[in-house]
Amino acid sequence: MTDYLLIQALNGLVIGVIYAVIAAGLTVIFSILKIVNFAHGEVYMMGGYFAYFAISLVGIPPLPAVLVAMMLSFAMSVLIERTLLTPLYSPTTERKGDYGILITFGISIFLRALALIIYGPYPLRPPSFWPGVLVVGGLIMTWDRVFAGGAGVAMLIALVLFMNHTPWGEALNAVSQSRESAAIVGINDQRFYMLAFGLGGALAGGAGALVGPIYSLSPSMGLLPDTQAFAIVILGGMGSVAGSIIAGLMIGVSESMFVALFPDPSRSLTYAQAFSLLILMLVLLIRPTGLFGRAHVAMD
Amino acid sequence: MRTLAFGALVVFGAFALAFPFLVNGYWLSVGVLAMFYAIVAASWALLAGYAGQFSFGHMAFVSLGAYTSGLLVKWLDIPIPLGMLAGVLMCGIVGSGIGFVCLRMRGPYLALFTVAFSEVLRIVIVSENEVTGGSGGLEVTPLFHARTDTPYYYLGLALLLGSLAIMQFLVTSRWGLFFRSIRENEDAAAASGVKVVRFRILAFAITSSFAGLAGGFYGHYIGILTPDIGSVDQMGLVVAMAVIGGTESIVAAMIGALGLEFLIEALRSYGQWRLVLFGALLLLTIRFARNGLLALAWQQVMRLGSRRRMRSIGQEAG
Repeated sequence: MTDYLLIQALNGLVIGVIYAVIAAGLTVIFSILKIVNFAHGEVYMMGGYFAYFAISLVGIPPLPAVLVAMMLSFAMSVLIERTLLTPLYSPTTERKGDYGILITFGISIFLRALALIIYGPYPLRPPSFWPGVLVVGGLIMTWDRVFAGGAGVAMLIALVLFMNHTPWGEALNAVSQSRESAAIVGINDQRFYMLAFGLGGALAGGAGALVGPIYSLSPSMGLLPDTQAFAIVILGGMGSVAGSIIAGLMIGVSESMFVALFPDPSRSLTYAQAFSLLILMLVLLIRPTGLFGRAHVAMD
Repeated sequence: MRTLAFGALVVFGAFALAFPFLVNGYWLSVGVLAMFYAIVAASWALLAGYAGQFSFGHMAFVSLGAYTSGLLVKWLDIPIPLGMLAGVLMCGIVGSGIGFVCLRMRGPYLALFTVAFSEVLRIVIVSENEVTGGSGGLEVTPLFHARTDTPYYYLGLALLLGSLAIMQFLVTSRWGLFFRSIRENEDAAAASGVKVVRFRILAFAITSSFAGLAGGFYGHYIGILTPDIGSVDQMGLVVAMAVIGGTESIVAAMIGALGLEFLIEALRSYGQWRLVLFGALLLLTIRFARNGLLALAWQQVMRLGSRRRMRSIGQEAG
């Protein structure tokens, strides 16, 4: 039983890392564009399929395919941002918040419908990154999970380094604090909206590519991770990248513990899906600024 | 212009009344479903467009109303209209509850909370399959024992017109102004003496009740309820209907729903491509015509009319 719980905890940790990657992308978008991106889960889904087709059609090996998926997700996100999100920055747009909600919800519907056409309703499973299992003592874990966790951590470290130690990252941070002040010191804010939305999309797409061999790919796969990511982003404090990483791990582990300890096994899987939703609702009710919220990115 | 609008209304009214005798059974059932979607889309437009509360949990209330009525009729054997009334009341109560707990939330937070609520409800219905029938569906007693859908059609039409009359009365009354003032600026509305708390809760309670009414009707018409009715995809369809028609007007949202439902069935041979098409249409509408395509079309008609009038005035002068 303790071995089982430990394996569950480790699995939860891996999934938590993936959640954290998705949530970090959502956070980057939120803190710069000031919108909650309801289409984030669909970019995650598209990333999974990008990797699948890079492997099966083009013949790229599984590991570089993750990078290809990230680049394609970046390009797709930039395209979406340039064509559909520019009214968010225009002073003539009324009620920008409502526009952001509606347009990203619309994008999520569109992408899901498109995926259903292109990829079909049946689940697809990309090949393993690394077949086989890792056995340490009584603990068993597939190499895919180990790899996904490791790659996810690498993405998060790269993101934190990028945000804190490069001029572009600092510029992003400046725009997140004040659009006007950033413009005054010579930062072209349009370029950084583009970068932020693309970066967020690349993280979501990368997460989708990593998850592919563990679960399968399906057009509706983005729905749940999306709400989980929202729960994480809000729990971690809107706009705090470090907060979302910690919250992502917390939710991943507690969710798999919930599955392991739920008294009625026949229902544990369906109710596990409700678990993060309930956390999301509770956080919104009790502490909408989250655990690590930064005041200046709070949304009104 | 006024006589033209009146004439159009008479023609549409006559067409709506004669509809069951003009079409076959298939299109009649499409007509019944169109009535259902029209009530849902119109009430969502009241909540989102007028009151500015972007709830993505509206289909959850449809589902709540439908399951409440379906289960009560099945287990307690009460008359169906009483069951539907119970569904409406249930949605009104839960809706005010959601409205109450969402008071502190604005914009995207509210949207997130309602999405989460809607998914939790769907998951509970799927999981508690001993009571609700789960994904396999719940058999619901049909409202009429007729061989055609004609009685359903007229009932749907009556419910739609009744709901529309009430909602239209609401939005043209002082309450409509209160709703819109809260949408534009909550603090300014409160400062002007609008009871923001009361009207935000009221907006939720009223629109959720309409959703519950539509849900009860849908359940007792369709005969078998599945949790999918409360899914995010169904919500997306209703949002598309209301937005393409226009969320700033109850009637426009209703027409959007009727039009889209018929279009979906008319384009059935295109299969899944329809959904992509409607998704694209939705995005274009939000991006370029935020008040909906009907408002856009109406503006064009008005502009054409005024241009013609200008020309005739010019000719008279010349």
